[in-house]
Amino acid sequence: MTVWRYARLYLEFVKQVLKVWLEYRVDFFIGALSTIVIQFASLLFVTVVFEHIQQLNGWSFYQILLIYGIAATGRSIHLIFFDNLWTLGWQYIRTGNFDRLLIRPINPLFHLIADRIQQDGVGQLAIGLVVLIVAATHDGTVWTPINLSLLVLLILSSGVIFSAVNLFFATLSFWMVDSLPVIFATFSLSDFARYPLTIYNKGIRVLLTWIIPYGFTAFYPAASILEPAKFGLMALITPLVAVICSVLAYLFWNVGLRAYTSTGN
Amino acid sequence: MRKYIEIFKSQLQLDAAYNGWFWANAVASVIGLLIAFSFWHAVYRNTTQIANMNLPKMISYVVIAMLLGNYVSGVGNRLSESIRSGEVAIELMKPYDLLLKLIWIDLGSKVSASVRDSLPLLVIGYAFLGVQAPVSLAGGALFAVSAMLGVLIGTQFDLIIGVLAFWTVNVWGLRVLRRGILSIFSGALIPVTLFPAWLLHISEVLPFQSMVYTPVAIYTGAIPLQAVGMTLLIQAVWLIGLYVLVRLIWSVALRKVVIFGG
Repeated sequence: MTVWRYARLYLEFVKQVLKVWLEYRVDFFIGALSTIVIQFASLLFVTVVFEHIQQLNGWSFYQILLIYGIAATGRSIHLIFFDNLWTLGWQYIRTGNFDRLLIRPINPLFHLIADRIQQDGVGQLAIGLVVLIVAATHDGTVWTPINLSLLVLLILSSGVIFSAVNLFFATLSFWMVDSLPVIFATFSLSDFARYPLTIYNKGIRVLLTWIIPYGFTAFYPAASILEPAKFGLMALITPLVAVICSVLAYLFWNVGLRAYTSTGN
Repeated sequence: MRKYIEIFKSQLQLDAAYNGWFWANAVASVIGLLIAFSFWHAVYRNTTQIANMNLPKMISYVVIAMLLGNYVSGVGNRLSESIRSGEVAIELMKPYDLLLKLIWIDLGSKVSASVRDSLPLLVIGYAFLGVQAPVSLAGGALFAVSAMLGVLIGTQFDLIIGVLAFWTVNVWGLRVLRRGILSIFSGALIPVTLFPAWLLHISEVLPFQSMVYTPVAIYTGAIPLQAVGMTLLIQAVWLIGLYVLVRLIWSVALRKVVIFGG
């Protein structure tokens, strides 16, 4: 029954957010447009480079696009629904607003996440989907219901991994007041994931596979579909990584929450 | 004793937050360098020349452009924040020109940033990534002049974005929009000479390539010394044009403030 109650609550939060969107339509438009332009800039970069080369380390243009598309869509899930994690330090803990969440009869993490739905992510989602469709229809993959639903599962996993990693580092705010620089620095690692991991040296590959698993937000999912013989196993591992990351991040969040409440702030 | 330990702890936290941003930016910059380095090495695996540039030249271009690209933004953020908070009304009463004040603040922070942030990255570039020295001594000197002009052009454009805070509350979105446009057309990601012809033509009539591409192309020698005079002139014209444009938008915006009663 709790799940049902939280789903209904979330819907109430969404309604509030939609009201704000309708109130500030120009801002909604600017926000969506801005993320589209940023994505477009990176796409243009790749397109321009591929005017001069046939393949990047064995990967064709449309295969690179597929990696991009998965990264952009996964990121947009994180941006739309979990963006408020970024603000835990400076908007909740520093200001004391977090104590307000603690006295409510709902899970404070749920409250924190539901407090904001980031409009700017909608543009990113749109362009991510377009890129995915363009890539998927040109990269030589034979699409079946099986690998299509696999793709959806992998993209969802990607979004979950982005969010879980951010939750983990946002939790540090309970001790540091504001861990935004740490989140920012870690998040910049995800830029690596826009290209095939095979172009990097071993240290970077190990880091992105086993320590901060951003490799599973784009490259491994794409590779498991493009080259099932070599990377097929990654299709199974990716959702597993998503679950493990979420569990670890949530446990860590609980530790942080206890530390925060016990000092009596 | 307990309360003093708490004070001690809070000072540690303050310092950590301050240093935190320094290190976070340093980490992000090094990651950016590593990605560019790996990416371009992979690109050149099956070819030796792209648009008349070999790998060492491309790496030099990309690294210098990335560092210079950090300077095309700055004080516009501060302007939009002060507009949003309403603080701008108080600023306007003070006996100085707000825009000029912001430009000088911007220059100050960029000079200190160049020592604190860029110099270490430049050393990494020369020592580990194979960045080459400027094409000639004269080229290096003219690069400095051109880069200065480019940074000033960037500041004016940033101020335009900042002033727009009078019309929209989504300043963050505008800044992202600005970043997107600049990352395409300034040349911070890629030399504009790699563009297909139609895109190159668009880029040539916009002010953005004067910010990063022009100075770095002087650095690598892609713009030959005898042509530098002309490109510097183009930069100067853009600088003056944008400065005038900022003033125009600013005066329109101020009229709006006065109508609203400050």
